Amino acid sequence: MGLTLETEVIVIGGGMTGAGVLRDLALRGLKAILVEQQDLGHGTSTRNHGLLHSGARYTVRDEEAAIESYRENLILKKTIPGSIEQTGGLFVKVPEDENSYVEKWLTSCKRVGIPVQEISVADALKQEPYLTKEIQAAFRVPDGAVDCFTMVVDVVADAVRHGAKVLTYHEVVDILTEQNRVKGVRVRDSFSGEEKEIYSQMVVNASGPWGTKLAQMAGIPLKIINNKGMLAIFSHRFNKQVINRLRLPGDADIFVPAHNVTIFGTTGINVEDPNDFSLDRQELEGMLAEGKKLIPTINEMRLIRAFSGSRPLYQEVAASDASGRNVTRGIALLDHYKRDGLDGLITITGGKLTTFRFMAEKTVDLVCEKLGVKAVCTTDQQAIPHRNAGEFFKNADIAPAAKNKLFNWAGTNAPKIESSLQESKVIVCECEQVTWAEIEAVLPEGGRFHLGDVRRRTRLGMGPCQGTFCNHRAAALAVEKKKATIGEAERAIHHAISERKKGMDVVATGETAKQLQLMETIYKVSLGMGEEDVQYV
Amino acid sequence: MRNLPFFEDTFDKCLKCNACVASCPVANTTLEFGGPKHLGPELKRLMDNQTIIDDKSIEYCTLCTTCDMSCPEGVHVSTLTAYAKAIHADMSGTKFRDWVLSNAEMVGKLASSFAPITNLAMGMKPVRKVMEWVMDIPSERQFPKYRFKNFNRIYKKKEAQTERKVAYFAGCSATYNAPEVAMSFIKVMEYNGIDVVKPDQKCCGVPMFANGKMKQGLKNANDNINSFLAYTRQGYDVVLTCTSCTMAFKKEYVSYLGTEEAKELASHVYDADEYLRILKENDELNMELAPMKERAGYYAPCHMKAQGIGNPAMDILELIPGYEIQDVGAGCCGQCGTFGFKTEKYDVSMKIGRPMAEAVKEVNANYTVTECGMCKNQLDQLTDKPVKHPMQILADAYERAN
Repeated sequence: MGLTLETEVIVIGGGMTGAGVLRDLALRGLKAILVEQQDLGHGTSTRNHGLLHSGARYTVRDEEAAIESYRENLILKKTIPGSIEQTGGLFVKVPEDENSYVEKWLTSCKRVGIPVQEISVADALKQEPYLTKEIQAAFRVPDGAVDCFTMVVDVVADAVRHGAKVLTYHEVVDILTEQNRVKGVRVRDSFSGEEKEIYSQMVVNASGPWGTKLAQMAGIPLKIINNKGMLAIFSHRFNKQVINRLRLPGDADIFVPAHNVTIFGTTGINVEDPNDFSLDRQELEGMLAEGKKLIPTINEMRLIRAFSGSRPLYQEVAASDASGRNVTRGIALLDHYKRDGLDGLITITGGKLTTFRFMAEKTVDLVCEKLGVKAVCTTDQQAIPHRNAGEFFKNADIAPAAKNKLFNWAGTNAPKIESSLQESKVIVCECEQVTWAEIEAVLPEGGRFHLGDVRRRTRLGMGPCQGTFCNHRAAALAVEKKKATIGEAERAIHHAISERKKGMDVVATGETAKQLQLMETIYKVSLGMGEEDVQYV
Repeated sequence: MRNLPFFEDTFDKCLKCNACVASCPVANTTLEFGGPKHLGPELKRLMDNQTIIDDKSIEYCTLCTTCDMSCPEGVHVSTLTAYAKAIHADMSGTKFRDWVLSNAEMVGKLASSFAPITNLAMGMKPVRKVMEWVMDIPSERQFPKYRFKNFNRIYKKKEAQTERKVAYFAGCSATYNAPEVAMSFIKVMEYNGIDVVKPDQKCCGVPMFANGKMKQGLKNANDNINSFLAYTRQGYDVVLTCTSCTMAFKKEYVSYLGTEEAKELASHVYDADEYLRILKENDELNMELAPMKERAGYYAPCHMKAQGIGNPAMDILELIPGYEIQDVGAGCCGQCGTFGFKTEKYDVSMKIGRPMAEAVKEVNANYTVTECGMCKNQLDQLTDKPVKHPMQILADAYERAN
């Protein structure tokens, strides 16, 4: 047995919810440690549209969710401006959509207080020329685009600035209980295999689709429905703003611009395994057939990859109604003392990316109540440092496109990046204009070179070539700069390439099929990297 | 220009293979240039529906279009770099010099009106020194001579009587610097019983596109399209002797404008030798060519290669009995239109041109044959061989036979 740690609250799960809970705890002065089995946000939190809901999508079906979304939309724009692009959104009616829904929708948006502005069909087509000419009505709403990669990282970083601790690549292998009371967790370092025990007064289970598994460790019944959704990424950003179908929310009816790409989704299928990220060509074709009603040229546009993630949905069964505060239909906050007689454990699940802060607030309110702490939530006021680079990089001698990226991306890393730009101006990922300086700035102290972690923090390999040219460059530079050993670099490449391939395979027709071939040729033939399965972690 | 309704979506196909970068004459010579992939498809993707990015290094793109030819995916790289140039010119402004150079037609008109003086002055060191200081035009750079008796003054025919009818676009070089090329072409056509007319015409726009003057270039394009369509609709074929102008008519007007008119005109456009090759294939070509015991080296301009029609000049000249012609097999000349006239590009221009000069030397023919007036300028400066246009040789062969 290795180390033993002690804290006031343990947060399990480094997704958006866990990150929000950690920051709220830290801001209220509570000692907290977040444990995450892989990298921050590797699960559902970065496997979604990145849509900042205005609430307009939910008004008709779930007014409470709409109210929450709109309120949180305004708060997040103010408090996490660096991860949100205020694109605005369009709700567009095509001939197949019911006429009666429009009135219903407008009335409920008005009731909720979501500002809706009708624009002419001509204006809509001018703003979004890829839209079908068949549209009959268009309304503008304050939707936005969230960069979920930066948001989860920034929220956690802010928590750390306020004293919180984070252990990524630490999987919870046991929940430690003592006479109906959770006293901590046992975690295993995924790299070294070393185990640690962490003791605390409270454990917050914010593990999303992995919630059922954790509850089992604590010996309590908890059924999380893992509703897997598939999304696809177009190789370029063809829309300025979010485009929604004006109908009851369904499959394949949202297009969200995300930096240089457009994300399209989604579907919903219940699966058992939280690690089920499988992708199905048929499902994709169904999506495209539906999406075509909004964007008629959808089949001619290049898809660079597809991905999937599971929405952790919670529905309390009638038999065990000793539920915690079922905040809304969407958000489930479970006090396992009241529900199962097990003290010291809270589960927070359900909800939306847009409402993560509110979920965290409610969770930490309950934690404080249980610990007798009288501190109020301030996350609706306290902003997280912006992602723009202020006065930095004005004179950097790099391509204007790379500079443009840094201006909107570097944030608190700007001084570090600017100084390492003096040494190396190399642009490693050309598609997304990622410099070595940026990569260096996000590498964790003391090794653990993982290209997926770098990708989530820099956009390395997220462009059309999907890492064909940059994964090996980044790995080689890491070795050259003594940030990784040769073995680590090789494992990192294998892992990165196989991950990229999974997402490309399912969309691999036309150009992406050729890209995939090119990638395989470079790695297998030119670089001579074999088929042998190199185990990572 | 920044908000131009620009529907060019071939950038989506880019596999980032870098074939265009590997074959780019400029990217292979200097690191000052961001390269065709980055400034073409990559930048377009990064700007679409986002912030417009002004990259100064686009000034190094010569619009030689080698990138278009190298691309295995059919990305219109040079169309994208042309727009990057337009964006740069629009956001950062252009130098007075670039404005002058891009107005080749205006310069031609003025310079040829005062031809003896212009040519004299351009040969005078102090004048050139002043030009270097004031305009950033290097004093070492040779300039083509201007002719007082320019083509516009000597040829005005507007109507053809023959069965095959040719509407000729002469271009600035054959109009103001080398009217003998234009006159040779007319003679060659005469020997083939084809009347040549000269419709109203403006500079093709290539020097404007190359200097980011997209709006102005497209205005010329539309004027030329309207003027020549009036002829093609009466059964005329459009024939050109300048490879850059030909490429503008065939390809750039279509990809920059995307109009039906541009497409319609493009389907009637031929390079002069290409046109003769068609006559030959139809057994219409006058084969009364006098034997010539000469050995020539053929230098293919980039804009000839870009048309994807092989080497029609060699195909035709080989028909002259006894005539020997060999492709010197060199890449870009480095003059690249206005590019080589700029002080800050001069070294790059010379460096690109050197392998061409070596190749010409190695072939060691009596003279070099090329269609492009600007390639000729570089050949004149970097080699000691005379330079001729294929039409001059053909006209000669016809004349000697009669």
